[in-house]
Parts: sequence; C-alpha cells; structure tokens
Amino acid sequence: MENMGHMVEELLHELSVLPLFSEHVGTFTLTNYTFFLLIAFTVTVVFFAVATRRISLVPKGIGNVVEAGVSFVRDGLCVDILGSENGRKYFPFIGTIFFFVLFNNLIGLVPGALPGTGTIGVTVTWGVIVFLVYNTIGIKKNGFFRYMKSFVPSGTPIFLMPLIFLLEIVSHFLRPITLGIRLYANMYAGHIMLGIFTILVAISLEHLSPGSAVTGGLAFAMRIVMHGFEVFVAVLQAYIFSILTTVYINGALHASEH
Amino acid sequence: MEGSLSVLGAGLAFGIGAIGPAIGIGMIGAKTIESMARQPEMAGKLQATMFIALGMTEAIALLGFVLAFVLMGA
Repeated sequence: MENMGHMVEELLHELSVLPLFSEHVGTFTLTNYTFFLLIAFTVTVVFFAVATRRISLVPKGIGNVVEAGVSFVRDGLCVDILGSENGRKYFPFIGTIFFFVLFNNLIGLVPGALPGTGTIGVTVTWGVIVFLVYNTIGIKKNGFFRYMKSFVPSGTPIFLMPLIFLLEIVSHFLRPITLGIRLYANMYAGHIMLGIFTILVAISLEHLSPGSAVTGGLAFAMRIVMHGFEVFVAVLQAYIFSILTTVYINGALHASEH
Repeated sequence: MEGSLSVLGAGLAFGIGAIGPAIGIGMIGAKTIESMARQPEMAGKLQATMFIALGMTEAIALLGFVLAFVLMGA
C-alpha cells in the first residue's frame, strides 16, 4: 500500500508546473503548462483558418462543425442574453474566450497532454481580462459616476449605502478570482481523478489475483467512463466561463437601470 | 506525521464547506427540471439561467477549495 502513496506523489508532481528547459529568457520560462497553452493556441488558430478558408452558403466537412459551434455561441449565448445588437457586437470577444477555453480543456484530455487551463495563473489572468473588459464597457456606457452609483440599488436607506457599496465592490473583485478558480479547479481535479483511477488499475495489476482482477477491471471501466465525463466537463466549463462573461457584460451595460 | 493536522483541517474545510453548495446545486437542478416539465417551451431559457445560478453556487464551494490549499501550505 505504501506504493500507492508514491504513485499519488508522482501524479501530483506530474501535474505541477515544471519548467521544460533549464535555460530561460529573462524571467520567462517555458513550462509544461505554457507549452500546451501554446499548442492549444496554435490548434485554435489553425482549426479556424482551415475551416473558414472556403466559405460557402452550405458548409462542407469541417465547416459544418465550426458553423454549428459559432451559431451556438452567437445565437444561444450572446444574442439570447445581450440582445441582437449588443450580442453581435460582443460576440468576437465571447466567442474567442469560449473556443480558446474549449480547445485548451479538450487538448488536456489527450493522453500525455496537460490542459493549458490546469494552472491557476492562466485562468485567473483570463478572469482579470474579463473583469477589465466588462468594467470598461460599463464605464464607457454609463459614465464613471453613474456606473459607481449603480452599485447601490435605488431605495437603499442612506446609512446602509456605504456598507452596500463596499459589499458590491468586494463581490465585483471576487468575480475574476472565482471565474478563474472554477475553471482551474475543475480541470485540475478532473485530471487528479483520472490519475487516481489509473493508479488503482496499476496497483491491482501488480499483485494479480482473481479478486484484484475484478477490482482492476472495474477501475479500468470507471477510468474510461470518467474520461467521457471529463469531455462533458470540458465543454461545460467553457460554456460556464463564457456565459458568466456574457452575464457580467450584460450587467455592466444595463447598470444604470437598477 | 508533521503537518498532518493542517491536512486534516484542509480536508474538513473543503468537506464541510461543500455541504451547503451541494444542497444548493441539488435544489437548482430539481427546480429547473420541475419548471421544464411544467413549461417545456421555456427549456432553453431555463437551462441558461440554471448554468448561471450553478456558477454562482459553485463559487462558494470553490472558496473552500482555495482555503484547503492555503491550509495545506500552513
């Protein structure tokens, strides 16, 4: 059983952020996670470049997939929440987030690869970008003072105003953090779970007996089922990240109305 | 055995902290299904709202997750 402790330690070591090369340029080092982040970036760009190279009214082959995805994000997400005009205006930002997060999550599920979203530095950075974008939109749309005033709902008793204002500020600053941690925690925990099932299979193979063959077989079946579940989680997390971005933008746009 | 108490604390922080959000997520799911059964034509809108509510509930559980990591280091 002490073998399992070693294996779990090895798994956690494999999932931690490690530099790929010992040399570094300034403070920049290529780590295992940034390596797969760059791969996901390349895959996203190449995939869309190839799929939209020949645009026709009736898409062929891979174009169908892209059209389905794009219209899902544009109509099901942006237009539904933001309305037709604003939805189309902010679709490029939200769509980029959705597909980049999606490709990162999915590439992490290729055996041997890591998700670029599996480290907190990356995901909270994206959360901060979303935070800056939606606040900029809110300030541009409403003006700074009206946007600040919208943090306190009208009809609040005057002695409660400072408290409510403070609470709203705190909740706004928590948004990028929760946005990032949600994505990171889901990807990281999912990979630990897959690793644990793999370790269970390895342990039952080590001391092979009729009993361990059964448990090993069950663990192997669970490992495969969980891989399918992780694909679902990857899509779901990309969807949640982008739908929350849309909701935050919508709140900033309509800040002065409540 | 050094630091084992902080590991215990981390486990408890996340475990107990996840109870509330778990109940909340269950209630969100149940109520969404209930509403969808009542008004199937609203299913799309309800689903989008459900995911927003899920995201906000999940955030509370995630605070416990972060606290667990902080305690592990302590």
